[in-house]
Amino acid sequence: MIFNSIRWRLQAWHGLILVAVLAGFGVAAYQVAHDNQLRRIDQDLEQHLMALVRPRPPRPPQGRFPDEPPGQSSAPQFGRQPGSQPGEPREDRRFDSPDFLQNMRELVQQGGVLDASQTNTFYYILWQGDGAVVARSPGAPDNVPAPTRVGSPEPQGLQGRDAFGKGSPGMPGPGLPPEARTRGQMREAYRFLPHGQCLLVGRSLVPDLAAMRRLALWLTAAGATELLLGLAGGWWVATRAIRPINAISATAVRIADGDLSQRISAADTESELGRLAGVLNSTFARLEAAFDQQARFTSDASHELRTPVSVILTQTQTALSRERSSGEYQEALEACQRAARRMKALTESLLELARLDAGQKPIKRERFDLAGVVRDCVELLRPLAAERGIQIHCDVPPMECLGDAERIGQVVTNLLTNAIHFNRDQGEVRLSARAEHGGVLLTVADTGQGIPVEDIPHLFERFYRVDKSRSRIQGRNGLGLAICKAIVDAHGGTIDVTSQAGVGTTFTVRLPLT
Amino acid sequence: MRVLAVEDEPDLLGSLLKALREDGYAVDGAPDGEDGLDKAESYDYDAVVLDIMLPGIDGWEVLRRLRKTKKTPVLMLTARDAVRDRVRGLDSGADDYLVKPFELSELLARLRALIRRSASQAQPQLEIGDVTIDTAARKVSRQGQEVLITAREYSLLEFLALHRGELVTRTMLYDHLFDENDDTLSNLLDVHVSNLRKKLGHDFIITRRGHGYCIE
Repeated sequence: MIFNSIRWRLQAWHGLILVAVLAGFGVAAYQVAHDNQLRRIDQDLEQHLMALVRPRPPRPPQGRFPDEPPGQSSAPQFGRQPGSQPGEPREDRRFDSPDFLQNMRELVQQGGVLDASQTNTFYYILWQGDGAVVARSPGAPDNVPAPTRVGSPEPQGLQGRDAFGKGSPGMPGPGLPPEARTRGQMREAYRFLPHGQCLLVGRSLVPDLAAMRRLALWLTAAGATELLLGLAGGWWVATRAIRPINAISATAVRIADGDLSQRISAADTESELGRLAGVLNSTFARLEAAFDQQARFTSDASHELRTPVSVILTQTQTALSRERSSGEYQEALEACQRAARRMKALTESLLELARLDAGQKPIKRERFDLAGVVRDCVELLRPLAAERGIQIHCDVPPMECLGDAERIGQVVTNLLTNAIHFNRDQGEVRLSARAEHGGVLLTVADTGQGIPVEDIPHLFERFYRVDKSRSRIQGRNGLGLAICKAIVDAHGGTIDVTSQAGVGTTFTVRLPLT
Repeated sequence: MRVLAVEDEPDLLGSLLKALREDGYAVDGAPDGEDGLDKAESYDYDAVVLDIMLPGIDGWEVLRRLRKTKKTPVLMLTARDAVRDRVRGLDSGADDYLVKPFELSELLARLRALIRRSASQAQPQLEIGDVTIDTAARKVSRQGQEVLITAREYSLLEFLALHRGELVTRTMLYDHLFDENDDTLSNLLDVHVSNLRKKLGHDFIITRRGHGYCIE
């Protein structure tokens, strides 16, 4: 199912997150714009309100008109009443004065302090304390309900008090702080004056609502565009991110199909995928090496078997092709026997290795005397050594050892046989053993020509031969040291080799005592 | 026909030499690559049977070096039955390939085919006048009647027939018909030629005095 792919899932999550973020952002942006607009309208309305109720600013104490005496004008002046002069001194600051109210009524009926261009936008209504309309501006709607008063019936501050209750100097005003309300498509600000009158300034919100709708539309369109761009970008990113994964899986498929030489090409080795590719590559390399080793082992084993079978086949076919003398028959049979013995030894070795590999025939763990085992092996091989004048020196004190005496004997025999085979004539073989670090250390040293350095790492590999000709002629199958290693490994020990060209080779076996 | 067998397994080499010799070849044996290369380079063998797994220099190397100087047909013997090995063998200039263990009869048949091909002779039957030589069965007949001849006589006849129209010197005959252990005296060659003439007609083999023999 294609929608189950990582790319699709990434894309789905990415899309969901993108929608949530864009929607949140859009709503927030709209809200902020909406609130700002409303605040601006409110400020506007409040300014109008203030302009109506604000007393004329007092003449500055040492103003531009120092010789004009206070109280020159008898009528209180509020706002920019037509005909009034800016900077005219305020005479009467009492809000309950008849002049004040009369003045305000007139102002309201005239359409406030606005210039002509604003009168059709704003409207004013003045109620008296009992809710009856005292005055309304020309454009004011008819059915405006009087605001109901909430909170303290008496104003706390009167003269000089901040109209907004914030104590900001320069914004003095009478009565309660102004309040605002939205009524249908109208926005209205009102304030109660000290004696129960209520002055309201309102305006239509229609143009603002249209602007907000445009903003909402614009935000939606921009959000949709961004969503599309984001999805496309996400798809691109997901594709790029998936590409190395696809490469890895394609390589893995090729490897699963049998081509073990395939590797993932990882250009960027520092990234997570690069490291994964590195790990996989090294795993593949180990896998390939293991397969190669297995294939080589099978090939070597079959090679080792094919040669003696060829001998038997050609010997018998030649012998049977015509009448032969008994001497010729005997010769052929002897050759067949040699071939058969070689196969027998090989199959036994292979079986032994297979058993050790499979952990069958578990290693016995019994206490035995290493010196006795070594002595038996030496006695068995002394005639072989004597043929070439090789001396065997055995320096193994009685020593208790833990393990399978028969298997350890096999190890000693193999090492000893090698030491004799690869020795020079009249050479020496030294066997020694000593206790060491809770274990036993057994060394077999010869005085042969040594093993080339490049062969040492492969020495314990199956069918590995340092010198093919010599070992083949001597009828050895290249499994001896591999078996030694398998046995020592099964005992939890180690086997090592050191060699010096022209001086000799020393094998060291360490067996733990626990 | 003279053949070289290079094989490091003594029992296998022994039976190979014996079988080849009994099949009428003059045979030399070599137990390792160096000896084999040495011999293959110094004589004009009609074919070489070459084992791959050899001590010293292996079969691949022997073949590579031999191909620099000689076009002797080479039949590779190997205990590895991998396609890769076979391809490599044929690509390195081997003419044929046989996997151990092999049937002796197959080895001999392949050798015959190799030698025949190298003499540009596709047919196993050679017809010269009224004489027919069956190289597969190693039999000779004249006017449909089988003529009984010895193995040596057959070898001589086959060699001359495969080089029909060419002058075959006595040295060539010695080189190709007798192996390194043969102590046959030179006059024996004349005896074989004379015997063949008696059986196949006096003019069948022409003597070029001081040079050698020829079948027209």
